[in-house]
Formats: sequence, C-alpha cells, structure tokens
Amino acid sequence: MGFAIRTEHLRKVYPGAHGASAALEDLTLDIPDGRVYGVIGRNGAGKTTFVRIAATQLVLTSGSATVLGHDVATEERAIRTRIACVPQEARPLYFLNVDEVVYLYLKLRGLDPADARARTKDALEQLSLTEFRRRTVSRLSGGLRRRVLCAMVLASDAEILFLDEPTTGLDPIARRQVWEAIRRAIRERRTILLTTHYLDEAEALSARLALFERGRLVLEGTPEDLRARVRYPYRVTIQGSTPREELQSYGRVSAIEGGFLVFARESEARDLARLALERGLKVGLGPVSLEGIFLDVVGRSIEDEGPTPEVEG
Amino acid sequence: MSERNRLRSLLTLVQINGLIPIRTQPLYLINLVASPLSFLFFIWIVSRGADLAYGVMGGMVLTMLSVGTGLQSDLTHYRHDMKFQDVVVASPVEAPVYVGGMALSELVYSLPALAVFVILFVYYGYATPESSAVLVGALLLVWSFATAFAFTLATYFQDVRETWMFSPIFSLVLTVLPPVYYPISYLPGWAQVAARFSPTTYAAELVQGAVGLQHLSFDTAVIDWIVLVGFTAALFLIAAFKARWKDP
Repeated sequence: MGFAIRTEHLRKVYPGAHGASAALEDLTLDIPDGRVYGVIGRNGAGKTTFVRIAATQLVLTSGSATVLGHDVATEERAIRTRIACVPQEARPLYFLNVDEVVYLYLKLRGLDPADARARTKDALEQLSLTEFRRRTVSRLSGGLRRRVLCAMVLASDAEILFLDEPTTGLDPIARRQVWEAIRRAIRERRTILLTTHYLDEAEALSARLALFERGRLVLEGTPEDLRARVRYPYRVTIQGSTPREELQSYGRVSAIEGGFLVFARESEARDLARLALERGLKVGLGPVSLEGIFLDVVGRSIEDEGPTPEVEG
Repeated sequence: MSERNRLRSLLTLVQINGLIPIRTQPLYLINLVASPLSFLFFIWIVSRGADLAYGVMGGMVLTMLSVGTGLQSDLTHYRHDMKFQDVVVASPVEAPVYVGGMALSELVYSLPALAVFVILFVYYGYATPESSAVLVGALLLVWSFATAFAFTLATYFQDVRETWMFSPIFSLVLTVLPPVYYPISYLPGWAQVAARFSPTTYAAELVQGAVGLQHLSFDTAVIDWIVLVGFTAALFLIAAFKARWKDP
C-alpha cells in the first residue's frame, strides 16, 4: 500500500486575512491509496481548504503536499490528469440535462465518446438517475443536482476523487446510493478523499479519518484508533430518574430524552451500568460513535456553529 | 493530454457553452445581434446611408469585442456560482484549452451578427482578397485580445455583478471612444492621442483602410499591425502570469 496524498507542515493563510488565524496550520498527514479517507470537522475547520490545496485549486502558504508522488505546487499537470473533484457548493450547469452533465464532463476530460457514453450510462444507473437522464438540471431538486455531480466524477477515469460534502441535501435513500457508488469506486482501487458533516457517513465509509478543528489536525486514525484515543471510549445510556450529580463522577454527562447519556472509561462505564441495573433502570452500553468522539475531543457537536471552547489535552 | 484530447476538450466546451444554451434558449442569439445592428441602423439613418460602410466595419469589430464581454460574465458566473472552474482545474483540461473553448463558444453566439455584416461586406463590393485577409486578421486579433483580457479580469472578479458594471466601461473604452465607427480624423487632436491607447483604434484603422474608407500608407499599416499584435501579445502575457487559474 502506498500513499495517495502526503502533507508536511502544511499551512494556509488566505491573502488579506491579517490578524486572523491560519485556515490550516502545521498539517502533517499521510493518506493511503485505495481507500476512503474521511475528513470531519465543523464549518471553518479547514476541511475544504485542505481539499482545494490537494486538488491543485488553491495555492499553499508553506509546507508541502504531494499527490500521487507529485508536488502540488510545481507538478500540477501530472496530478490533474489523475484526479476529479466535486467542490463544496458546486452546481451542475443548469441548462444541460442530466445525461449531458456526465457525458460532456467525461468528454471534456478527453475520454473517447464511446467510453464516455458507456460510463455515463453505468453511473446514471448506479445512482438511480436513469429516469431523469433527459431532464434539464434547472428542473431538478437540490438533492438530485448533488447526485448528478457525484455521478459525474464517479464515472470518470480519475484515480483520486475529491468529494467535498457530496451528500449534503440528499435524502437517506439517495445518500445510501452514493455510499454504494463510493464503495464500488473503492473496489476499483480508487482513492477517495471525503469531507462530510455526517459523522455516520464518515464512519460507514472511511478506512481512516482525520478530525480537523480550527485549522489543526486534532485526531487521525482508523475509527477504532480514534475510539481508543478519546478519554471516554464508552457510552452508557440510562433511561429513568437518576440525580445528574451522581452520574458526573463517572464521566461526561449529557441529558437526553427520558434520561442521560454518559461518556465514560471502560471500568466506570461497567460500574455505572451495574449500578443502574441494580436500581432497575433501563441501560445501554457500547463503544462511542464518531459523534461521541467528536463531542469528547472538540467539546461540542459538529453542528454547533459557535466558537469552540478550549479543549483539554 | 494529447493534442487529439485537447481538441476534443475544446470542442466539448463549444458544445457546453455555445451550442446547447442556444438550443435551449435561442433568444441568446438576438441579444448579441442587437447591439451591433442597432449601431448600424443608427449610422444608416443619421448619415442617410453615406457612412454605412463605417457601420459595417465597426459592427464587425464590436461583434468580436462582445465575445470578450460575454466571456468575462460567463467565466465569472461559472467560477463563483457553479464552481465549474474548480471542477475543470481538478481535471486534465489546461487553462488555455478552457479559455480557448469558452472563447470559441462565445463566437458561436456572434455568428448571426457576423453573417449579417459579411453579407453587407460582400453586397457593397468591399470584399477583395486583400481586404478580406486584412479583415480576418484584424478581427482574429481583436477576438484574441478580448479573450485574454476577459479571462484575466474574470479570475479577479468576486461576483458576476462586477462584470455587469464593467461591461459598459469595456464597450465605451474599446468601441465608442476609439474611432471604430468613424475615421480617426473626426476626433480632436487630444482625443486622437487618447485613442492611440486603445488596440481597437489600430484594428479599425486597418479594416477601414482595407476597404478604402481612408487612405492608409504602407508604413502606417505596418505600424498598425505591429501595435495590434503587440497589444495582443501583452494581454496574453498578462493572462499567462496574472490570471488566477489556481486561487491564491
């Protein structure tokens, strides 16, 4: 296994951002090839900045980044022949129909028309877009437009696909279809750099994950690695009446409907579960989800737009 | 990317930004015919037909320049609102192919206007091998520098609304103040000097000279060509070094 993307002390400060903190700071990362690599973080965490630098769309300030062994600053041409990207907030050209968006993108990349036609048909089928193939983009819902963009890059011959929040706005069924298409791309030994707000999506698809916060890499590893590194790798849900103060000695407590959610270490989680069972309360015990890890590390939910509190070690 | 694939990409862009939008909305064609033909009609009325030749030659120059104004709007819109430039950057398509394809696609919109002017050009007996060669050469250079200028500007604009503000200025500075629709001798001395800063002055002088609307000595014609080629080369150099294909 090699590395698709490598960065060393990567830093990005946007021009004119005087006094502001860097959008990316001291990012050193190795992204293996042939897998989905998930990048998660709140808005403004630096996910898109990282994707845009790796996809040769944005100039880096300092440090270095290579894609497929080529330097993003000096060997863009060698990289661009082997990548494809769905940018965040991208929209397909509204006057094209669904079939044209995919087919013409492939022809634009230089694919032979017969090959482009076959790939288009395949991608549209895979993402359940065949019935919309003659429909103009301007008459599609936001979710369908996003799906068309996914079909466009998944149909390409690129070795690395950059998908910047590709499933935003999709309904659960459409999201699952995109996930299936992503899994198929992985079976074809392609590398996917996926940024997402959906932690379940990152967890379901990613072989490794990076958690960004305020331009810095906070955690990196497989989902299991991440769980092992958080302070409270277990979650205990308790349904019923219990004094909150009593629970706080076991770990971090959050109120949920009808009870509490406690993030705890393994021994405390077991003790708490035993205690709750002795009191006749309903108890659930298991490893933390990615949402739990995020809460533990960042100190607030991924959906929270407010400023981040200082996080312990 | 091989030459064959570059050509395929170029023609695909013509299809994407030229042929398909016209198929879905034919009114685009009338939009680009309207301005040059309005000028032609105005000149025909005011001069009682006497200065129609200026209207025809100026109309062709304006039509080629309108490629530039259309291009800067489209490139800005695609870059900011659709993120299409980002999609293209992260692909094998190189910047010159993208700009060339987009500029050719804008030319598709201009074809009806050009067809009207070419018919008039032939009908009024201006079409000789020499005048046609000068016309084609000058118009190609106008199209080229308008393209380079539009691309460079489009990569700096932050919103398509900025192009709406800029387009009338672009037209004023390049087609109304310079003697595109009239001989340079009509201008007062200071304005003639100012007009020499616009590349369209040289293009207009060449095409007007080619059809006998004004006497153009061999030396003046050579200087006009050198200046026009120089302006075009300079704008291409600026585009190559200053346009933002990759964001800073």
